[in-house]
Amino acid sequence: MRRRLKRILIKTPKVVRKSFRINSIQSIITLSFSTITIIAMIMVGIGLYSTFSSNAEKNAASSAQQIMDQATINLENYLETMIEISDLISANMIDTSPDNMQNLDNMLSLTLELREDIVTVAIYTGNGNVMLTNPGHDTDRTYSVLQQDWFNQTIEDPEAYLFQPPHVQRLFEGRRPWVVSMNRGLSVEYLGRDETWAAMVDMNFSVIEELCNRVSLGNRGYIYVVDKDGNIIFHPQQQLIYSGLKEESIDEVIELEQGSFVDDFQGERRITTIKNIQYSDWKMVGVSYVDELVPNMRDFTNFIIIILVFGIVFVVLASIFISSRISKPVKRLEHQMNRVEQGDFDIENLEVKGEDEVKRLTKAFNLMISRIKMLMNQIISEQEAKRKSEFNALQAQINPHFLYNTLDSIIWMNENQNHEGVSEMTGALARFFRISISKGNEVIDVSDEVEHAASYLVIQKIRYKNKFDYTIDVQDEALHHKTIKLILQPIIENAIYHGINKIQDKGEIYIKVFIEGDKIIFRVADNGFGIKPERLKKIFETEPTNKRTLGVGLKNVYERIKLSYGDEYGVDIKSEIEVGTTVSISIPLTGEQIGDSDEKIT
Amino acid sequence: MRRLHRIVILILILVISVSLIGCSSGELTTEEKKLNIKVVVKMQEPGFWAVVQMGAEAAGREFNVNIDFDGPTYERDIDGQIEMVQEAIDEDVDALVLAASDYELLVPVAEKAKAAGIPVIIIDSNLNSDKIDSFIGTDNVDAGRKLGESLIDKVGAECRIVVMSFVKGTATAVQREEGFFDEISQYEGIEVIDTLYCNSEESLAKQLTIDIVNSETEIDAFVCLNAYGTVGTAYAIDELGYAGEIKIIGFDSTPEEISFMEKDVIQSLVIQNPFNMGYLGVKYALDAIRNEKVPRSVNTGSEVIDKENMYLPENQKLVFPFTE
Repeated sequence: MRRRLKRILIKTPKVVRKSFRINSIQSIITLSFSTITIIAMIMVGIGLYSTFSSNAEKNAASSAQQIMDQATINLENYLETMIEISDLISANMIDTSPDNMQNLDNMLSLTLELREDIVTVAIYTGNGNVMLTNPGHDTDRTYSVLQQDWFNQTIEDPEAYLFQPPHVQRLFEGRRPWVVSMNRGLSVEYLGRDETWAAMVDMNFSVIEELCNRVSLGNRGYIYVVDKDGNIIFHPQQQLIYSGLKEESIDEVIELEQGSFVDDFQGERRITTIKNIQYSDWKMVGVSYVDELVPNMRDFTNFIIIILVFGIVFVVLASIFISSRISKPVKRLEHQMNRVEQGDFDIENLEVKGEDEVKRLTKAFNLMISRIKMLMNQIISEQEAKRKSEFNALQAQINPHFLYNTLDSIIWMNENQNHEGVSEMTGALARFFRISISKGNEVIDVSDEVEHAASYLVIQKIRYKNKFDYTIDVQDEALHHKTIKLILQPIIENAIYHGINKIQDKGEIYIKVFIEGDKIIFRVADNGFGIKPERLKKIFETEPTNKRTLGVGLKNVYERIKLSYGDEYGVDIKSEIEVGTTVSISIPLTGEQIGDSDEKIT
Repeated sequence: MRRLHRIVILILILVISVSLIGCSSGELTTEEKKLNIKVVVKMQEPGFWAVVQMGAEAAGREFNVNIDFDGPTYERDIDGQIEMVQEAIDEDVDALVLAASDYELLVPVAEKAKAAGIPVIIIDSNLNSDKIDSFIGTDNVDAGRKLGESLIDKVGAECRIVVMSFVKGTATAVQREEGFFDEISQYEGIEVIDTLYCNSEESLAKQLTIDIVNSETEIDAFVCLNAYGTVGTAYAIDELGYAGEIKIIGFDSTPEEISFMEKDVIQSLVIQNPFNMGYLGVKYALDAIRNEKVPRSVNTGSEVIDKENMYLPENQKLVFPFTE
């Protein structure tokens, strides 16, 4: 259940976003904020409405109860009068002499004259003969009370007061009024015998109608009276009900002894209130219409609608306002980022405005842009330095002294008929320059770099008349890796000029290339003069004053390695005076493929 | 500055919306004019048509409309009824409820009313027009059949009878005759001596009855097709001393007819529902005014009652209209 709800919650905004094509922060905030608030408001409205309406219904029901209480008392009083009249008859029946009967008749005449609601009073003897009727019309001889249920019940139980549902009175010829009857038994002594007679008081509906009409249950509300079997005693639309044109919810009324209920009867909500009537098995039923009895209901509904509309308009406007406040700085940021995206870094720092998060974001953005600018400048200057040192390295190769001395040596060897030496030196020189240039590539195979160093050593060994020996020891695995070119030669040059050249003994140069971890190490060791420690300390700091000074070539190699491979790599020098110097160059183990991409950069 | 602008606009919108709601809720209460519905019946008398009037007035009270009830003194006064319908058109009533005295003669004036925009609801006796909104009344063919059934029940399948009809050619008479003759045609033993027309006058019915009883030797029963024919025949039979001997199968339930039935002059009555005709006539007239759908025809039904069952609670309510 909860999961499904969650899914719906996640799903809906997506659907909404898709269909309306709005996914800016502003519209999302506006939409979700408004939706949530509106739903909450509508729920509160419905809650208020239902609470209010159920309370109102309760109030209406209780006020209907109170109104009906009075009507009930009135009807009970009325029935009581009828009973009193019958009691009066009963009291007068002690003497059944014709004189007394005449007196009773006179008294009844007077009563009936005063009371328009009593249609007829009649006294029947135990065997069904009419003893007395008032008013005295021609009695209908076709009608016999002996077959009537009410008569037999009255004779059987003379103590009871029996109220009959409405029926057509058949007592007199040609008169067929609708009446409600009250019957009771009379204990009389007639012609010396104890007999049970029956008295009948027939009422018309005038008083009951008046009692019911006097009570106001709203404009359309009304009161009716039923007996326990559901026979209608009085109803304002009695004939309509008799004709089947109207219906009344009598079944529910009989089921519910007393009290009230609310139901939807023929599409209208009404409150039915039921009261038992004393002296009889009648019930008085009040029907009132909810929408009438609760006049403020409509006002209240209108009020809630107004509040809802008001609130919804307010919420929508407020959320538009708030969301625009939140999203505006973000939008400005987005605009600047677009410019950066198109490569324009020359933007001024953004003004830091808006909410805390946006402020921080703006600050971070500003910082990022300035860092990027700095890095870019750094890259530009580094590239420049790299190019410069490469150029320097190349320039060093084409050192005119070196070329002049070499060519001089060749000439000298030629004059001494040393052809073998000439060809060896010329070949070495050619290899030396070929690899130096190497089609302008900066990165070459380790094997080429080693060959380049070997060529140089061949030339120098001849020139220095075997003043030194050299050994080149290369690990086979290292041969096919890549390296920047011209790193060994400057070191060897230093070893010859500043190391071996300064000693009397025969020099030794040992070159070793090997893989150590993820690095390739080029090591050049000599047994020369060595470098003074104070000199060694500043060896990478010296500015090139003279091309021949120690450290110019070394520094160039050092810088180029740093620029190409980073600070982890570089040149390490160990030296001891009069013992020798060992220079170790480390470069990364790049593999062969790296060389291609490097080519592109240069 | 711009923010201030926006707040001002916001407040303006709120004020406008609230005032709009206020206005619309204020205009809801308008007093409805009380409608006038004219009910024109065949004649004014204390029996059948008085109950129709009761029904119409009950509906008038319930739906809060004015009911103007009218009808000529004699049913044969067709011109008088036409004039009354014309008056209704002149008064520009909101609807007309009409019990047509003549199937044909009332057609032009009723259609004129309809053309003038007045809904026309016909009750009891139909009109030869397809322009009327609704017909509410007894299915008279069925009522005629019930007369036949009751004749078989009370007199038997072997008898000589006289049919006392009322106005020759009037729709209700034609239909009741049709139903009755159709029903008795199944029985070969029933001989119809004559069909008489009393013009809905008791005295004429009485005279016709006396004449035919005196001239014919053997009559078993009279079958009367409306209240006046029934009452006139009953008086004649009662006076001639043939009560119970010459049986009467009658129509409707006036107090006189009930009284004759209790005295065994009349053996059974086919009763209609005049209260419902009056009530439904007004109710559907009101629906027609409001342009709601009105049923093309409504059968208010008929029942057979006799001395034994007339006081049963369910029949009491039909036989004796409830008056307070």
